Amino acid sequence: MNAPAYNFAYLNEQTKRMIRRAILKAIAVPGYQVPFASREMPMPYGWGTGGVQVTASVLTPDDRLKVIDQGADDTTNAVSIRKFFVKTAGVATTERTEEATIIQTRHRIPETPLTADQILVFQVPIPEPLRFLEPRETETRKMHALEEYGVMHVKLYEDIAQFGEIATTYAYPAKVADRYVFDPSPIPKFDNPKLDDCPALQLFGAGREKRIYAIPPHTKVKSLDFEDHPFEVQRWNEPCALCGSRTSFLDEIVIDDKGARMFVCSDTDFCAKQRDGR
Amino acid sequence: MSEQGFTDAAVEAAHAFRAIMQAMARPGMPVPLEVKLQAPHPLDPASAAVALTLCDFQTPLWLSPMMATEAVAHYLRFHTGAPLVEEREGAHFAFLSASEETPALSLFSQGTHEYPDRSATLVIQAATFNTRDVVLSGPGIKGTTGFGVAGLSQRFWSAMAENHAHFPIGIDVIFAAQGRIAALPRSTRVVLQETV
Repeated sequence: MNAPAYNFAYLNEQTKRMIRRAILKAIAVPGYQVPFASREMPMPYGWGTGGVQVTASVLTPDDRLKVIDQGADDTTNAVSIRKFFVKTAGVATTERTEEATIIQTRHRIPETPLTADQILVFQVPIPEPLRFLEPRETETRKMHALEEYGVMHVKLYEDIAQFGEIATTYAYPAKVADRYVFDPSPIPKFDNPKLDDCPALQLFGAGREKRIYAIPPHTKVKSLDFEDHPFEVQRWNEPCALCGSRTSFLDEIVIDDKGARMFVCSDTDFCAKQRDGR
Repeated sequence: MSEQGFTDAAVEAAHAFRAIMQAMARPGMPVPLEVKLQAPHPLDPASAAVALTLCDFQTPLWLSPMMATEAVAHYLRFHTGAPLVEEREGAHFAFLSASEETPALSLFSQGTHEYPDRSATLVIQAATFNTRDVVLSGPGIKGTTGFGVAGLSQRFWSAMAENHAHFPIGIDVIFAAQGRIAALPRSTRVVLQETV
């Protein structure tokens, strides 16, 4: 039930209008980071304040919300945010990917393919893909305006020169609709192919950095690479120790103090579904 | 009361925004937008819902000659608190009708290459949608889709094709037609049917 002291979904209506206008411009210019007047939220920066503000602005009382943190529904961050929206918006929640209408995620895309009826909301720490290469906002803004992304290719090339391969494994930069290079948030590069031609709308919110960006459904998302060093995703030598999946992203878990380890699905809902034969 | 706004603002605006967002994310696909509000003639209730969902004191509005009646101006001022402006370039939102001559799109704010988001959104109301005027492709569209709006001229669609040519700067358009809305963001490629 709604706690009566809150407006629906916590934010006041003027804040939602401001965020909603930013979301529409973000959709109209795919991959461009729209500045917005990010609010203080009742949780610290780094806990998904950007994602929470985006979710609060797109949520209706009819939605069914799923929240994941690194693929898991039962970790602190995911549980806190889910409870936040149950308390402030009274929405239904689920842990099953296929039942959700809105999925807020920290650092993963679910293994279960998304549909056109779903919206994926990413929590983003550093939205600017060029930030570690060029610290000045005035410069990176100009680089995006001029479509000047050579420095990013130099960075990837230096990886190859030093390690023999592109060593970036998460937050792997990609180009949206042949125009803007963007940061897909720290998802493993394993998830990058899922961004491309996705039937669901994908929204990205960075609370501390005050940026919102979007990828509309069925939009081309191309991970940056070279002809002789094409983009590749991680592979594992063994299947998930719990469900036996050979197609999902696996977490390495240390299980004793003698160095024994096991590999299990990072997506807890997908793993449970495989085991239940759902 | 004949000129009513939202009765439950948070929930009605949330539903209206979802429809607007779905429309913007899927260019050329009409989306139902059910509204309970009552808007003064000639403002379409769907256009009014867009205004009440997105406009406030931060967004100057421009009304086309047909829309700029005393009743509409009063309604929008009262329910949104948005300032009405005479000059097109200062407007964040513009409300127009398909049954009047569309002004040159380049007179509206286009944004800059550094800040392409600082551009105007046009809300054009019409009688109906069709699938015959133009063929759309681009982000949000699987393959291509046919789209059209009753009353809009070939000149308008040429201007929208031109608008896309300047991407990433340019305006975005929301169409409202009796309980349904559709959108045409600047990211969409527009090809006139005759020239396909």
